[in-house]
Amino acid sequence: MRLTFASGAAAFAAAFMLSPLFDGGTWFWTSLGAVLAVVAAGLLSSRLALPAWAAPLLSVAAAWIYLTAAFASDKAWALLVPTKESVAELARLLGVGWDDIQRFAAPVPTTEGITLLTAGGVALIAIAVDVLAARLRRAALAGLPLLALATVPATILSDPISWPAFIVAALGFVGLLIADGRERVGRWGRAVLVRRTTRAATPQSGSRTPADTSGLRLSGKRIGFAAIVLAVLVPALLPTMEPVSFFTFGVGGSGSGRGNSISIPNPIANLKGQLELPEPREVLTYTNNDDQARYLRIYALDAFDGNQFGMTEPKGSPANRTENGPLPPPIGLGRDPKINNVVTNVHISDQIARLSFLPLPYPARQIQVDGDWRADVDTLMVFSTRDEAAGLEYEVQTSEPAPDADLLDKLDTLQPAVDPRYLDLPRNLPEDIRDLAFRETNDGTTKYQKAVLLQKFFTGGSFTYDLRTQGHSNSALRDFLLYDRVGYCEQFAASMAVLARLVGIPSRVAIGYTGGTKVGDHWTVGTNDSHSWPELYFEGVGWLPFEPTPSGTMGQGSARVPPYSLPRPEPTGTSATPTPGASSSAADESADPGARQNPRALDREGLIPTGTVPVDESMPLIGKIGIGAGALVLLLLIPAGVRLITRNRRVRALGWKVTEPADELTARMVSDRVNSSVAAAWAELDDALYDYGMARQPSETPRALARRLTQQYEFDSDSAAAIAAIASAVERALFARNPGPVGPMSKDLRKVRQALAATVSRGRRLRAVLLPPSTLRRLRGLGERLLDGFDLLENIRLRRTAAQKGT
Amino acid sequence: MAVTHDVPPQLDELVSTAHRIRQAIESVIEGKSDAVRLTLTVLLAEGHLLIEDVPGVGKTMLAKALARSIDCPVRRVQFTPDLLPSDITGVSAYNQQTREFEFKPGPVFANIVVGDEINRASPKTQSALLECMEEQQVTVDGVTYPLDTPFMVIATQNPIEMEGTYPLPEAQRDRFTARVAMGYPEPTAELEMLDVHGGTSPLDKLEPVATTAEVQALIAAVRGVYVSQPVKKYAIDLVVATRHSPDLRLGASPRSTLQLVRAARAHAALAGRDYVIPDDLQDLAVPVLAHRLLPSVEAQGQRRLPEQVVTELLRRVPVPETRGR
Repeated sequence: MRLTFASGAAAFAAAFMLSPLFDGGTWFWTSLGAVLAVVAAGLLSSRLALPAWAAPLLSVAAAWIYLTAAFASDKAWALLVPTKESVAELARLLGVGWDDIQRFAAPVPTTEGITLLTAGGVALIAIAVDVLAARLRRAALAGLPLLALATVPATILSDPISWPAFIVAALGFVGLLIADGRERVGRWGRAVLVRRTTRAATPQSGSRTPADTSGLRLSGKRIGFAAIVLAVLVPALLPTMEPVSFFTFGVGGSGSGRGNSISIPNPIANLKGQLELPEPREVLTYTNNDDQARYLRIYALDAFDGNQFGMTEPKGSPANRTENGPLPPPIGLGRDPKINNVVTNVHISDQIARLSFLPLPYPARQIQVDGDWRADVDTLMVFSTRDEAAGLEYEVQTSEPAPDADLLDKLDTLQPAVDPRYLDLPRNLPEDIRDLAFRETNDGTTKYQKAVLLQKFFTGGSFTYDLRTQGHSNSALRDFLLYDRVGYCEQFAASMAVLARLVGIPSRVAIGYTGGTKVGDHWTVGTNDSHSWPELYFEGVGWLPFEPTPSGTMGQGSARVPPYSLPRPEPTGTSATPTPGASSSAADESADPGARQNPRALDREGLIPTGTVPVDESMPLIGKIGIGAGALVLLLLIPAGVRLITRNRRVRALGWKVTEPADELTARMVSDRVNSSVAAAWAELDDALYDYGMARQPSETPRALARRLTQQYEFDSDSAAAIAAIASAVERALFARNPGPVGPMSKDLRKVRQALAATVSRGRRLRAVLLPPSTLRRLRGLGERLLDGFDLLENIRLRRTAAQKGT
Repeated sequence: MAVTHDVPPQLDELVSTAHRIRQAIESVIEGKSDAVRLTLTVLLAEGHLLIEDVPGVGKTMLAKALARSIDCPVRRVQFTPDLLPSDITGVSAYNQQTREFEFKPGPVFANIVVGDEINRASPKTQSALLECMEEQQVTVDGVTYPLDTPFMVIATQNPIEMEGTYPLPEAQRDRFTARVAMGYPEPTAELEMLDVHGGTSPLDKLEPVATTAEVQALIAAVRGVYVSQPVKKYAIDLVVATRHSPDLRLGASPRSTLQLVRAARAHAALAGRDYVIPDDLQDLAVPVLAHRLLPSVEAQGQRRLPEQVVTELLRRVPVPETRGR
């Protein structure tokens, strides 16, 4: 009876974990109905005392009738009884559901077919649990089907399982185990001793109450609850090795609980890592119909936290799948600018690991690619939660605006209709950076002109390109802009984006690849073409890339400046900038093959000894291990820190010098201080003993303790006198009518500590300092109190039920 | 319990007087300082002492020595199976001259009453001592006669396995503050005893070292010893623990709590302290509690004595302490 209910509850609780897979709530109620049908059948078979083999048949029949009534009632006889037609209808729906599941990625809409599949699955699990737990009395084994149900979301989603759902499911299983235990013990059972609570040490009247199973149940629940709490808390407390959670340059919006989040390596660290490879590797090749080099963007970083740019988590709804036709329109692109429609065929090298974003020219309109790729509406980044880009071949159509300066000036009157986050800057941005931004753009009248001036500021020659730059801190931004002016594309792009925001131009930082090098009939992009550039927003045109990083031999070799971003007085053709923009005629790529030889290669030779192992990760493994070990050490040092703080507090309390009080009032005040100072000394002594592994027994009086220590550890007369003084002070403070004068005890305490420390091994002493057990004891005490709290709750409930039984 | 007296100024005097009495007793009883100290403690706690051991280890000697060293009336009753209650309390006899009944006080009308081999008397006679011990008064023929202060019964008894004994009923045992076992003396102490006792009984040479008034003052001083709340609580914890111990069929009575704390006061005073500490209770718990307890059948089967059970409880019950911070 009880077991049948508990099985149903456990199966339903486990079904909670499926919730991130679905978009609606229909599946939930339908599954509840299915579980209820199974429970009803189970109760019936218990009542009729059916043999163990017959019960599941009855349950299956009940589930069948339920599903028929819920999904094919119009085809059934009297809405309930399955007929040939209703069976066919259910089979059809199952097929539809199966197809839907193949088609959709989680979270799936709750179509009828999917709901039927879900309800049927949950019903089967419920039947399996009922058979194992209630019929075969193997409640622990019933955890297996529950586990199977619970792992479904974990295998489908790359997301961590949501912890509230896990708790519900675990509670369901614990409830099942408890119900089984009660049945079992109730049958043959007397009493098991439970943990002695603090109250049990001095039992009240009528201690020899008849033993019942409540104690067993209590400890069972306690173990269950403790296990669940640990299972949820411990992983959360453990430091992760994921660089994202360690560094500010991560991806924003962690764990929003959506079903389709993605894992993104730190884009900037990745960028730097690629640029620093001793030997460039091929990343991708592409061809396009106008044979122009184009920047291929992977990420768009929008959030500036004062140190660096990070990415808000992209959102890809099923509607924005690449296979569903055109992507969402590019934001801000109006009718005015001339549009270049380009078709690019990209082939990603299969050596690329863990790339779940597609490198694409901006703005992509339509993509033909295999797999579940989705576009983020806002940034047009295209990513996947389960597929990787390695080895992919895809075709992308882009509609590239090719505005000229006049148009951009003209559009200046329009208000930018873009998310305000692209203008967000931290409040504490240094004033001199603001000044710099306004000073440099003073001559520009329109936003476009200001943008051009900013780009010119960077490319004008006062900045030096050097890959060896480090640091993302606030001062690094200042140093770069105002003082040393040395950096690589990351600094250039981020600084220009910040300055643009300062003068009111929405901006973001794009990360990806430059157009690469023409090799044969296609463009080849390597790791050395990794690049970062700012994208600035102009209403009517949308996002336009700019290029503040110096190009050519003294900069990022394959970087090129877009034509619209060049200052107007000098139209084109300066020899310094071979500028094949998207709409301009192709620059002579092969004119200067030497120029392709990137100076960074030379830098690297000085930087990295030849013959080193290629490092292609953003952060070397040793670094990760080091950081993990450091974090672990810090974590381990927490008890020592707590101990130190406690000890200092006590030593301060010890400092009270108390003399003979003059009148009643001072006597009382002094007595309080005596007490606190004595309490501090006693507590400190107690902790010190515990740390050295010679803990005081709770039944040991101060005097007895002093005697024991003196004898056992052969104290010299000074130390013996010191511990006797402490014991006597404690005794008087606790038990005497008038404690009398108490001198400062810190000296005595120190002496006793030294005497104790001399008797233990060096390892023990070290442990007492670094990993003091007394702090852990305190933690344990806290845990005990927590458990006592549980007991209290438990008792309240038990008492009420007992009272109800009495009435 | 009134504990708001000031610190008794007699504490120094108490310690020195007690020391004199101890020395006097120890000049007679060799190497039994614990038993002597406990005897004094019971005297100052206004209680009664039960000395239990095999014959010939000096039970009566201890009782007599204490009696001798205090200058007060001492009576001794040898309990025998034919002893009658009136032999203890006294009788009303008809005086032919005054033609009235006259009360002839029995041996209990003294400050210290030594009841020798108390378990040889019949229960009826034993119980005659009850009223005297608990209420310090004697009622004969409806007339109540109060007894003097200090009034202390020192009873000796043989272990009940010995022939011809009536075990003391629980109620009577409960009236004794403490029980002490003499134990055999150390060989060296026994040798010395041979030397000293060779010619004359040392008891004859014993001169009183304290007066009744002095002892009364000492008792008053002991009453003023301070017992803090945590210590009272600790005493209760100890006693309650005996009531809940699975090894005991009968735990200690509330009277024993009272007597434990009283004895602890005397113990503290003898140590020159005007406040009781848990150590006092720990030292006294076995002599004060053990003789009142009945072991459970299981404990009997394991031959666990109540003394062992009490010792174990002392190890388990936590002492009061400051809240560590």
